[in-house]
Amino acid sequence: MRKLSKFNIFTLIFAAFFFIAPLLGAFGYALRGVNGAGHSLVNFRWIFQQQGFYTNLGVSLRLAAVTALLVMVLMVPTVVFLHLGGKRWRRLIEFVCLVPIVVPVVSLAIGAQISMPKWLQSTPYELCFFYVIVSMPYVYRAVDIGLQSISLSTLVEASQSLGASGLTTLRLVIVPAIRSAVTGALFISIALSLGEYALASLLHFNTFPTWVTNVSQENILGSIALSVSTLIGAWVVLLLIVFLPKIRSLRKVSVNV
Amino acid sequence: MTTQIQTEEVLTASNRRQNLFLGFKFPKTFLGLLPILTFAGIFLAWPLSAIFRASLHDNHNHITFAVYRELFTGIYREAFITSFKLAFLSALIAGFCGAAISAALVRTSGTFRSLISSASGVLANTGGVPLAFMFIAAYGQDGLITKFLLWLHWDIYAGSFDIFNFWGILFVYGFFQIPLMVIIFTPAMENMKKEWAEANDSLGGSHFQYLRYVAIPTLIPAFLSATLLLFASSFSAYATARAMTIGNLPLVPLVIGTLVDGNVIPSEANLGDALAMGMVAVSVVVIAAYLALLRFSKRRS
Repeated sequence: MRKLSKFNIFTLIFAAFFFIAPLLGAFGYALRGVNGAGHSLVNFRWIFQQQGFYTNLGVSLRLAAVTALLVMVLMVPTVVFLHLGGKRWRRLIEFVCLVPIVVPVVSLAIGAQISMPKWLQSTPYELCFFYVIVSMPYVYRAVDIGLQSISLSTLVEASQSLGASGLTTLRLVIVPAIRSAVTGALFISIALSLGEYALASLLHFNTFPTWVTNVSQENILGSIALSVSTLIGAWVVLLLIVFLPKIRSLRKVSVNV
Repeated sequence: MTTQIQTEEVLTASNRRQNLFLGFKFPKTFLGLLPILTFAGIFLAWPLSAIFRASLHDNHNHITFAVYRELFTGIYREAFITSFKLAFLSALIAGFCGAAISAALVRTSGTFRSLISSASGVLANTGGVPLAFMFIAAYGQDGLITKFLLWLHWDIYAGSFDIFNFWGILFVYGFFQIPLMVIIFTPAMENMKKEWAEANDSLGGSHFQYLRYVAIPTLIPAFLSATLLLFASSFSAYATARAMTIGNLPLVPLVIGTLVDGNVIPSEANLGDALAMGMVAVSVVVIAAYLALLRFSKRRS
């Protein structure tokens, strides 16, 4: 690790200001009391009193979990396959993963509306499939760059000469080796499904973001409190994903010792 | 002798196994691609072809191209121009800011790094009403930051800035575009080997020479493809645009949204489909330009 230059420090301070300022501004308003006088947590309490808070939050969390699972199952083996032996199809898959960038979500929503079967359109889990599509370019890039930085074929040979099956190699050797890339891919897909609005609203499903939009019309200060909480809540979810495995592995080590 | 035979056996066994993965003999089979191709076929190609087919049929179910002519007139043309301008400027600005942050980020490590990268993941996906409310609370006419800056004798509303106009929205888009750049550009930055900088130093090269002859040429392809993603992300941003504008700024996704939501009855039912195809066409042109640029930059270096 090299030391931060002056320019680096300037950049970080500037970025911190740019990203924290709106949050501070929002906090300032959110902490106001009844009718904007004094300071209190009344606006934050208002959030939990709104109808549909828990149900819609539940829906969004479940959608995020299913999307993350689908992304992992679909993308990681495919990109590993491309790196190991399917190099000749690399161009094709790169192209397929580039297409979702070209297709704006609004267009995808219209297409889904007129092409998907009725039974699928009746469940919010339909959204998961499209969230996978939308996150595909980012996930592909993340996993691809991760695999480029390790000597994959050596690892696979080593693992298989020790008698591991393909699935074991994938689970215990490859995924841990590209852990930061896989976590990055998970972040993208989870954060995307927790915050996605356009598809959900155009396909007429109720998720957390559409619920936020609906209740925000009733109480300005309350919805500012809600906005801040949503952002921090999503961050906490992602931090849990980063730090829980670390804490668990720490415990495992201490037990073994 | 026996050990030699054993080693040989192990070696042939490992050679045989090498090509096996998840039970498939992958260099010779197409099966490894089947899942992703099926998935993309059902949830990407099929909806797209449906829009295209729908856009060619008018209210009386006759096949016609007439609706595409409308995209080049009046408010639709204006919407395309505004959307393009917004996306282009936003990609350019966020591209440079995000790259600078990545450059600083790769020199940090541990908890700080995890905090920032997970925060980028969240910020890159903020949008819509939450984002709009936060910026209005901070930078609106009555915003707390606006008041703070006024106290420092800087009236941000003195000029043409308004949080609800083009420049305001460009500013707000930075809040999710810059983190997006950080997410996609940091891996490329990480691939820069420390040895390159050391080699440059030991050969007596200055920091400027390192940037000019090593860093920038290696990073240009990644930078271009990252800004391309940024362009696409702001070109198709819907939630934030919808929350920030009050119908004063024509943007293509908003126009499509209004048509689809059924609040407006258009003269042609397929206008929304045609606009959606128009957006795809603009993105295709941008990607073609990007590929040409990439080839050019590769030939130069």
